[in-house]
This record gives sequence, structure tokens and C-alpha cells, in this order.
Amino acid sequence: MAEAVAGNDQRSLLYKIRIFVNSHLINMFAGGLFALLAIFLAFPIVMVFIKSLWGDDGFTLGFYQEFFSYNFYYWSFLNTMILGLSAMVILVVVGFCFAYMTTKGPNWLRKPLKVCALMPLCAPPYIFSISLITLFGRNGMVTNFFDLNFNIYSWTGVIVAQCLAFLPLSYMMIENVLNSQNPSLEESASDMGASEFTIMRAITIPLAAPGVLKAALLVFVMTIAEFGNPAILGGRIPFLAPDTYLMITGEGDFNMASVLSVVLMVPCLIIFVIHNYMLKGKGYTTIVGKPTAVDPKDMTPLIKYSLLAIVIPVAIMVLLSFAVIVMGAFVKIVGVDNTFVIDHMLNMQSNTAIFNSVKLSLLAGLFGAIVGTLLAYVIMRGKFKGRKVMEMMALSGFALPGTVIGVGYIMAFNRPPFLLAGTIWILILNCAFRFLAVGVEAGISKLHQISIEIEEASADLGADFITIFFKVILPIMFSAFIAGFIYTFMTTMMSLSSVIFLVTPGFDLAAVYIYLTAQLGELGLASAATVKMMLIVVICFASLKLLAKKTGLDVIEK
Amino acid sequence: MGNTETPMLELVDVHKSFGDVDVLKGISASISKGELLTFVGPSGCGKTTLLRIIGGFTPITSGKIILDGEDIADLPPNMRDTKMVFQSYALFPHMNVRKNIGFGLKLKKMPQKKIDDRVDELLALVHLEGLGDRTIERISGGQQQRVALARSLALEPKVLLLDEPLSNLDANLRVVMRDEIRNIQERIRITTIFVTHDQYEAMSISDRLLVLNDGIIQQIGSPSDIYETPDNRFIAEFVGYVNFLEGKIESFDQDSSGLFLVSTEYGDISLNKINEKNFDKGDDVFLVIRPETVTLFPSDAEDMPNMLKGKIQHSMYAGNLVKYTIKCGDREILIDQYNPKDSIKFRCGDNIKFTVPRTVHAIPKRG
Repeated sequence: MAEAVAGNDQRSLLYKIRIFVNSHLINMFAGGLFALLAIFLAFPIVMVFIKSLWGDDGFTLGFYQEFFSYNFYYWSFLNTMILGLSAMVILVVVGFCFAYMTTKGPNWLRKPLKVCALMPLCAPPYIFSISLITLFGRNGMVTNFFDLNFNIYSWTGVIVAQCLAFLPLSYMMIENVLNSQNPSLEESASDMGASEFTIMRAITIPLAAPGVLKAALLVFVMTIAEFGNPAILGGRIPFLAPDTYLMITGEGDFNMASVLSVVLMVPCLIIFVIHNYMLKGKGYTTIVGKPTAVDPKDMTPLIKYSLLAIVIPVAIMVLLSFAVIVMGAFVKIVGVDNTFVIDHMLNMQSNTAIFNSVKLSLLAGLFGAIVGTLLAYVIMRGKFKGRKVMEMMALSGFALPGTVIGVGYIMAFNRPPFLLAGTIWILILNCAFRFLAVGVEAGISKLHQISIEIEEASADLGADFITIFFKVILPIMFSAFIAGFIYTFMTTMMSLSSVIFLVTPGFDLAAVYIYLTAQLGELGLASAATVKMMLIVVICFASLKLLAKKTGLDVIEK
Repeated sequence: MGNTETPMLELVDVHKSFGDVDVLKGISASISKGELLTFVGPSGCGKTTLLRIIGGFTPITSGKIILDGEDIADLPPNMRDTKMVFQSYALFPHMNVRKNIGFGLKLKKMPQKKIDDRVDELLALVHLEGLGDRTIERISGGQQQRVALARSLALEPKVLLLDEPLSNLDANLRVVMRDEIRNIQERIRITTIFVTHDQYEAMSISDRLLVLNDGIIQQIGSPSDIYETPDNRFIAEFVGYVNFLEGKIESFDQDSSGLFLVSTEYGDISLNKINEKNFDKGDDVFLVIRPETVTLFPSDAEDMPNMLKGKIQHSMYAGNLVKYTIKCGDREILIDQYNPKDSIKFRCGDNIKFTVPRTVHAIPKRG
């Protein structure tokens, strides 16, 4: 028999190459994607580290020494931590109150409260700066009405703005946890004679604790990384994210900017690791079998009114904030001269900025969705080592503060071989890679539903990797692709912290325009641009919801 | 199987390990053109791994896979002339029936007209005429199975691989599809490997069975070889119920009557032949006694050769047969008596006699 067999060495070279290519195509793609992640995510971050340790005379710890010797610098760090911790504590409490009311509260209140808690998602975080200035600024509506002497450019302003901005994050995560608790646990506790307060203390809160902890960590990371609110409302209080920006635009000190970035990044990375690896799978699954629908019970009045005392003012603040933004877009100066004007909305510079943002977001969305889908595919189906590392890299863009990536990008891509500074490409790549996580996650969860046999069958019928990907996988994963696209589009629209480092004069983006006009006190212009941006974001949300309804792929919940 | 004919597929000393675990420990077998060979064995025996190795989805650790004269062990699936029907069917949900069936043909850049003709031909073969434009969700499980089969047959592979194709169908449909697959396979004489864990399914569909356990081939043979003359205890127990009777070969010489004598603790049994050539006088053996081969007699029946005594311990009436559990010494023997209407009915506690046929099969006790 053996002599009848065509030996492997008798095969032509071309045939051997074909075998190799067909067997390793997915790995080649993985290699390519790995290179992209390395260049556009890891490299800028590494640059930040290097720059923080490398001065004109080579390696030095001098910059860190400088950081710790001037209280302007280390207070910037301490303030940021204080801000993060305060927002975290406040938002865990407020988020829990909202979540408790919308899952166990009176039926008629659930929907309106939920809407209030989620509303801030439709706007960039920094709109609350604009509304707080409109309301409580030196010439603000409330300040004037009550003739207050109140300074909103302060700790209070920053904390309130941050809390309003990140309420949805805390609310969604805690609500999710409460929703997944088995109601019969509380019923059985109540059956045994526990009061609602005892149930809350002994059952609800302990069961929710791991989920609440995750929410708290995320809130912390998001608030310390946020650039807009501390920059606009922080006044003279130093915070890391805005200081990093000032260090570059004001002093051109890249070394110190890098040190500040590292200091900001370290807590974020620690929490990212804790969140993804130590808390993964932690939490209680209390629903076994079919969850039973329960009739809403009447809440104990004391609990109901104490929760409402927290929830109602916050809800009113949210509604009021949005109201003054919309109003601000259409009147001359809110609270001072309430005559209707359309000028703010028609402002050419603002429209150009919106147009540029849409263009950038479309390109970043498209690029991000393609890379995200491909990444999800090779991570899930590839057979090479290092898939976990790849996944971690892809998801890390989410955890890294925008300012850090922004600083990294200007340092990494302002000279050959990657001379991208000043082009729209640096913005596209920055946004696409920062917001990759959602597309990758959506792709991975979609792929979990697709039997690997589908791909094996395609290969069996003669398809190579590229054919399988484009003819079979992409059509099936299309919903994940679209989800990644819309999400990247939406977040790019609103993103400020990273792009502010990368825009060139003359190329305005909506987010940057809003920030600069708000800084200058041009609240009407800022509000008008925000309204336009919100409209676009709301449309994106609606599309995502529709997609979730049609395909069951819900990226908002994540 | 003629030795002169070149086998369509030959496995030569195939080894496969996942880490430290040896899943396949030297599999050698060959399958001739047009034959249907079934890999059967308990779950975890390596049968699916072996099939996936042939399809190219799992690389081998060592060995050769020779398809029609060429070693294909290092070829990726899309370059092999084997086609697989997957357990989940793996139909493309975003394509209709026609597009699914024509997928491979299209990849071969066949002109559309020819693809259409071929798809029509295949739809007729699997009795799905008129359903070509349906989407996959809008056809039943059995129909999906037919589409999957047609899709694999479209490219006229040298070997068709079927991975537990009936496991997702309900009991009645399983039988229908099993017969249908066999029917199509015989009609187009395609060399086929079928994987199942169901020994009855395996016996009813195959030309030959390859019984795997623990990554080792236990026996290759026709369904009747496997059932009637199993090589070892595992095989005997794997296909159908079996009573083992321990014994010792008393006489080995071929005396004038042509019988061998095996002594057991319940009496002597004479056998027509012993297929194993390497038996010696004095060897310990197991007699493989299938429940349906034993005949029951009342206790007052005349003594006959190969007759043993026992007592009815339990009986279960099942319409076409009665299942008796008989206490014989300190062990229980299961006996099926077919056509109970025309047989003597025994009750629990009855003393009985029963005969073991001379054709009973013996296997060595060792191993």
C-alpha cells in the first residue's frame, strides 16, 4: 500500500503553499490583528510609560520625584481620588435607591424613575456642567431667582455633575442585580416574619453586594477618567485628567503629562483587572428554574419615603438639566433674556463641528466594527496561544482613561513610521480602538450562539477562511457588527477626553466645540450643539433598541 | 472484501492525544469503495474524534490517512475530498435550501446553470422537490437532515462522513431517516462512514462495524459477526444483552461427532466449533449465551444434551416475547421466549430445564 501513496515530498511547491495558507489563514489574520492592537492600543500606552521615565538625559525617575514634591501635582492625584470615591459612594446609594424603587416600588413610579435614571445616557457627561452653570452659575437661573451667592465652579459642582453624568451606569448595574434576584427569597423571609427593612438588610443588600461592588468600581474608574466636568467646573482645583491636558497645551511638557497619565492609569488598570478577573462570575444566581412573577407589594411607608427623599430630587435635577439645555439652545440667555432665538441652532461653526463629528464617527464606527468583528472571530475560533491576551488588549481600551490614550497617541504618531498627527486618521483610529470593547463583546456573545459546526461545514465544502468569514460568519454575525458600529459611532460622537488632544485647529469636532464654548461661557452655543448631538445619540439608542428587539443582542445592558 | 481492490480510505496506525490523554491508540482500518462502515462505541471512545480526523477538523498525532492513494493527513478540510454531515446539520441560517445545497458547487465556480441542475437532481434524490426556496427555519428537522445530506453529496466526495446524524430526530423519524440514508447510499454507491453510539442503529445500517472502546479497535466485522461471534466480552455486552457462562475446555480433539466439550459448574456443554484457533485444552472460556437462543422446557422433560436446570425467578410479559429471569445455581440467566401465545407459560417458582444451542460462541476468559 505504502508505495502507492503519493508522498508529501512529491507534492509541488505551489500545492504545499496552498496547504499552508489554507491551514493557517486564520492565524495570519490573528497576527495582523495582533499587530493592529499592539500599534494602536499598546504602543501609545507604552509610549506614555517611557516618556514618564525618559528625559533628555535618558532614564530618570526625576519626573516622578517632581510629581511627589510639588503639592500642585500630588494634590491633583489626591483630588481625583477624592472625586472618584465621593462619586462612587453617592452613586452607589443613589443608584441603589433608584434600582430599588424601579424593581420593588409602586408600579406607576417605576417607568418614570427608570427614564430619569437612564436619561443621562443620551448626552455626553459634560452637559451637566453646562446645565449646572446655566442653573447655578454667577448669572444662573436659580442663583438670580433666589439671589444666592453661590459658586458652582467648586467641588460641589464637579461632584454633582459627575454623579448626574454617571447615574445610569450605577443604576443599570444595580437594577440588573436586583432584577435577577429570586422574589421568592424575599417572600419566604417575609413569610417567616421579617419586616421589609429586615429583608432589605438581611437578604436584598447582601445578595446584591457583589454586583454593587462591580458597579462601584466602574463608577470610580469612569469618574476619575472623565475630563469634561472637572475641566469646566473644576476652577482652580487640580484634577489629573484636565491637568494632563493643560500640561500639554499650556506648557508642552510631555514628560509631566505622561507622569500624570500613568498616575491616572494605574488605578484604572488595577480596577480593570479586579473587575475582569477577580470578580468575574462572582455574584449570586438565585433564580433556579422559572422565575415567578410576583405582584408588587406595598412598600413600608418609612422606607418608601426615605428612598423617595433621595430619588425625587435627583430625578428633578436630571430633568431640569435637560430642560435648561434644550431651553438654552433656543433662547438668548437662559434666565436673563428669555427671548426666542434660532441663531444658536443655526450657527455655522457648530454645524460644521457636528458634521465633522458625524463623518469621524461614521468612519470610526465602520473601522471599529470590522476590526471588532474580526477580533471576536479569531479570539473565539482561533487555535493559537495568546487569545486571552488579545481579548484583554481589545477590552482594555474601555478601561483606559481617554486622556491617557490621547496623550499616548500624540506622542506615538507624530513621527515616522506612524506619522498620523494632524490627519483625520489619528482620530478615527483613536476612537475605533478605544471603543472596540463593545463590538468585540457583542461579537463574542453572538459567536457563542453559532455552532462551530457551521464553520466546519463551510470548510468541509471547500471554503477557505476568508470565504467563510465573509460569506457565512459575517452575515450571521451582522447584528453584532451593527451593534459595534452604532455603539462606536455614538461614543465617538460624544467623546471628548481623547480627541481634544488630537484635533487640529480648523477641524472642529462637536464635543470639542461644546467644551470650548462652555469654557468661554457661550452657553447658548454649547446648549444648541448639545441638543443636536443628543438628537443623533437618541437615534442611535433607538436603533440599538430596535436591533436588540429584532435579534436579541443587547449591548446597552452591558 | 476483495484484497485485490485498493481501499478507498485507509487508516494506518492513527494516534491522537489531547495533552496527556491518548484518545486514539493506533487505529488501522480500511474501507472499500461503496461500503458503509460504522464507527460505534460508548461515548468517549474516540469515534467522533476519528471521524473528525478523517474530515480534517482535528489534526492527528501520528499515522497516515490515505484517501484513494494519497496521504491527506496534513490537508486542511477545505482541500480534502471528504464531506461531512454534521450532528447539528450546520446549515447556513442565512441561506435558503437551494443556496445551502449549492454552496460547495459555487465555491468550485461551477456555472450557475449547472449548479441549478445539480441542486434539482439532489433535491429529487433526497425527496425535497419544491422546497428549494424555503428558508432553513421553515423546514422540519427531518428535512434539514436531508438538506445537510444533499449539501454534502453535491460535491460527489470520495468519502461521505456522517456524525451521529440521527441524534437530533425523534424516535420514529430516526428509523425513517436511517433507512433513507442507507437507501440513498446504496443507490449511489458512495463510500460512507457513519458514527453512532446506538448499536442497533449501527447494526441495521452498516455493511461493517468498527467497534471502538478506549481508543482501540475492539472488532471490525459485519453486523452478524459482531453480534454472533464477538471477539471479547466488551463487544458481546455492547451489542444486546448477553449471559456469560464460565467454563473450561475439556476436550479439544475433533472427535467423530465434531464437537468440543466445555465443562461449566452447572453441567457440560458441547459446542459445534470454536472459532478461535488459539484455544487449548484446559483454557478458561466464557460462553456467550444470547437470551433468545435458549429454549425452555418443563422440569419433567426428557434429558437432552446441553440441558441445564433452573428455577423461574421472575417473568415479564412483553407481547411478542416473555422475558424470564432464571436462577441457575447462584446466578441469574435471562431468557427471551418469543411467540408466547404458542409456548408453555411458566410461573415464578417453577422448576424448569433449558437447553443451550451447540452453535454457542466462546470467548477466552483472559482480558
